[in-house]
Amino acid sequence: MIQITDLEKFYRTEEVQTIALNKLSFGVKEGEFVAIMGPSGCGKSTLLNILGLLDDPDGGSFKFNGEEVSGYNERKRSELRKHNIGFVFQSFNLIDELTVFENVELPLIYTGVKPAERKKKVEAVLEKMQIMHRRNHFPQQLSGGQQQRVAVARAVVNNPKLILADEPTGNLDSTNGNEVMDLLIDLNEAGTTIIMVTHSEHDAKYSHRIIRMLDGQKVTENILA
Amino acid sequence: MIKNYFKIALRSLKKNKLYTGINIFGLSIGLSACVLISLYISSELTYDSFHKNSDRIVRATMEYKLSGEVNTAAVTGTKVGPELTRKIPGIDDYVRTYISSGTVKNGDKVFAEDRILFADPSFFKMFSFNLLQGDASSVLDASNKIVLTESMAKKYFGTDNPIGKIIHAFDEDFVVSGVCKDTPKNSQIKFDFVTQFLNLNNNVKREQWWSANWITYFLLKKSVDINDIEEQIDEYMLTDLVKKEARLDDGDYLKFHLEPLLDVHLKSDLAGFEPNGNITYIYVFIIITVLILLIAIANYTNLATAQSTTRSGEIGVRKVMGATKKQVFFQFISEATTVTIISTLIALGISILLIPYFNAITGQSFTRLELIQPLPILLLLIFCVVVSALAGLYPALVLSNAKVISILKNGFGSTNRNGSLKKALIVGQFAISVFLIIFTLIIVQQMDYVQSKDLGYNKDHVIVLPIRGDMLNNFQSLKEAFQQVESVTSVTASYETPEFVEWSDGIVAVDENGEHDVSVKAMPVDLDFVKTMGMKLVAGRDFIQTDFALMDTINSDNRDYREPYLINETLAKRIGWKPDEAIGRTISKRVDGPVFGVVEDFHFSSLHEPIGPLLIFLGRNYSRNFMVRIAGDDIQGTLHRIESAWSERVSAIPFDYHFLDEDYNALYESERRSSILFTVAAGLSVLLACLGLFGLVAFSVVQRTKEIGIRKVLGANLGNIMLLISKNFLVLVIIAVVIASPFAYWVSKNWLQNFTYRIEPQFYIFIIAGILTVVITLVTVSYHSLRAAIANPVESLRTE
Repeated sequence: MIQITDLEKFYRTEEVQTIALNKLSFGVKEGEFVAIMGPSGCGKSTLLNILGLLDDPDGGSFKFNGEEVSGYNERKRSELRKHNIGFVFQSFNLIDELTVFENVELPLIYTGVKPAERKKKVEAVLEKMQIMHRRNHFPQQLSGGQQQRVAVARAVVNNPKLILADEPTGNLDSTNGNEVMDLLIDLNEAGTTIIMVTHSEHDAKYSHRIIRMLDGQKVTENILA
Repeated sequence: MIKNYFKIALRSLKKNKLYTGINIFGLSIGLSACVLISLYISSELTYDSFHKNSDRIVRATMEYKLSGEVNTAAVTGTKVGPELTRKIPGIDDYVRTYISSGTVKNGDKVFAEDRILFADPSFFKMFSFNLLQGDASSVLDASNKIVLTESMAKKYFGTDNPIGKIIHAFDEDFVVSGVCKDTPKNSQIKFDFVTQFLNLNNNVKREQWWSANWITYFLLKKSVDINDIEEQIDEYMLTDLVKKEARLDDGDYLKFHLEPLLDVHLKSDLAGFEPNGNITYIYVFIIITVLILLIAIANYTNLATAQSTTRSGEIGVRKVMGATKKQVFFQFISEATTVTIISTLIALGISILLIPYFNAITGQSFTRLELIQPLPILLLLIFCVVVSALAGLYPALVLSNAKVISILKNGFGSTNRNGSLKKALIVGQFAISVFLIIFTLIIVQQMDYVQSKDLGYNKDHVIVLPIRGDMLNNFQSLKEAFQQVESVTSVTASYETPEFVEWSDGIVAVDENGEHDVSVKAMPVDLDFVKTMGMKLVAGRDFIQTDFALMDTINSDNRDYREPYLINETLAKRIGWKPDEAIGRTISKRVDGPVFGVVEDFHFSSLHEPIGPLLIFLGRNYSRNFMVRIAGDDIQGTLHRIESAWSERVSAIPFDYHFLDEDYNALYESERRSSILFTVAAGLSVLLACLGLFGLVAFSVVQRTKEIGIRKVLGANLGNIMLLISKNFLVLVIIAVVIASPFAYWVSKNWLQNFTYRIEPQFYIFIIAGILTVVITLVTVSYHSLRAAIANPVESLRTE
């Protein structure tokens, strides 16, 4: 599903150039659950941004479903993203002004789904995530675990093929964290590919494969299942 | 999707109450100014356009040259209308008009009326004043017919049908032949009664080129060219026959210009029945509105852009979820639109409330109903769209263009680019405010100067009593009665009041240096004029009772008829006489007469004009006003006593009075209005600019919370922190003062050029305006900076 080869990314300030990704290569098959680990600053988040088509690589190749996407313009990337990729962030990134229902509905609005169908889909996913009773609450009225469940609901409401999760349990206590991990496992078992960046060895163990990075390069790769 | 935009917009506005409040307040004020000003402008621009023939009606004005001097007037002689209609084929019809005052009576209903129009019979055919009863072609076809407006019909006849009833005016009985709607307020001819022109007096029955007192309108034939007609008139006026009739010497001329009816109000220099509007006034109004609206829009742009830092997360998420640039753009435009729609509704409310005050400033009489009409509402909608676009454009562009990854990573740093826009907008807002402050101060100073200037006479405590009907026959007894009233110090009478003399004339003075022809203003007065007006004589004496003997036509069979004269210093100088030398010399104003006195120059015209030569002659029979000087104490009581003296002698004529200083103040009515307008505009612009600044400072303090905390931990004191926050804003405001001052100087200097007697813009005014602005800025900024400065640094650091 994903194949990156010799991927490079630099950050330049006026005087210094930092290498964030240094000729990184690996592939992810459809239905896989991959965890990416490494210390702060090793390039994990940069990688995730590129995989999520939020950022451009400076070199190398990035194939998504066999198609080279590294040269795509903003519009094409946006199209590909909104139909294929769901995001889960460490800090949830829910919009404060929107209710639970409206937050989850957002990706459907941008993909042009009709209102009646939107309602059906959102309600289904809220049921699944067991937060239907909170549908009319605003994010600040929810606990961290509930917020992340909403974020996951939002990420999956469009039935994306790929979910990119950036430290999804980083802001949660262990009970809530485990619940979120269970949700991700369920999704993966239903066929969704998941790439998760994490600091937590505990969370990483849920995955099929752990890629460890340092200074923009892959250091090791452990297959767990 | 759109529903979603507006839902988000409303929620986000609700969340940021301070900014929303500032924006809505500013835009409401700006928009209501727009609504009211549009009302005024549309009324001015549609002046007289309700006449069906408005494109074919012209007003004839007169230009003449006599003894080398060229003059113009909006009034013409009685011959102009009929003669030119007979001679010039392109002219279809004429109407001569005059508005007079008089007492109108129906039974026990007696009122002094000021708007009695005398007009030729085709008046209602040429002009489209809406006749409710009566036929346009016959309502004025007999000399005893009179047309009333609806209000007059009600005033004199109540609910009865007035048609065919008798009404009494000018010692005659008139039959009411028609009732027309009240004259629209945007009409140059405004009347309450109309009767035949020839009813005025016997003089008007004779056709003559001179004795120009009447306003003449022509109806031109369809599709003729005004310039062609004017040329034909010029040609005709040069014929020997006309020259002879008009007694024109070689080098003299008399000609007529035709002003399209629709141009009279705004474009003519010559006032007719009423002072003309001024197109400059309209421009000034438009500019002020736009400036205020710009300040409000700048507030929106600045606050919305500043807020973008806190909205970065939201925008990032939206973009990650698949929102396109266009979608984010429209979301922020819809926020601006939401704010504008709310402001528009409030603006409509404010405008409705402010109508009476607006009328007071503009001298108009708009009604609240006029605001709730399709046109003003349509205009409001247009403003709404334009303002949403202008205010929302920049923030929407900045926010929608930002790259997702950089927002998610860093948020919106205040990039240098939008930082300089913010600064430019603040400088612009304050420059507008400073400009308005300076200009207002200068207008107010000049108006003060006008009020306190020594005019050469004392305008205070003089009661003016208009002489109406047969009061002239009771002149002496009335004058004596007034003189005997307690607290009355002196009584005189004159044709015009001294603050504005319009009577133009010409004199000839002969001395050892030859003949001196001088164009003068002339003033017929009664005895005690100099004394009552508090004028000073620089030589000779005032008129005395025995001077009347000079004008005795009964005992001297006209051979020795002489008119006694007083002249002003300027006239003496113009002739070449020192004041002392003038006494006893002879001057001729068609009639020879001796100069008895020279009065110190006084302002008999507005301070816009220099003092010219003036001739004062003894002419009791011309008197149109008694002028009664009273002691300053117990004015009400004195008025009561004068009123009883009046009603004992002329009970049929309603008592009517005003004060001389009111006449004087009326000369500066438009300046007085400008000064109010500018004061309001300056106040509003400062208020709005400061509100914007208040919001921005609040924002900047939030953004710099951590920095402030660290500085305090490191030892910064209250003063350091306040300076840190205020410094940047203060620099911008000082730049604004520097930019606005020269411009304000230039504009004020130009405005003051309109006055012959004027102040000089003083340097200290600019200093005051500058200091005022800086102090206001400091006060505005200090609230938030003080709060930041006294906050516990631990709190501010914890927010990270």
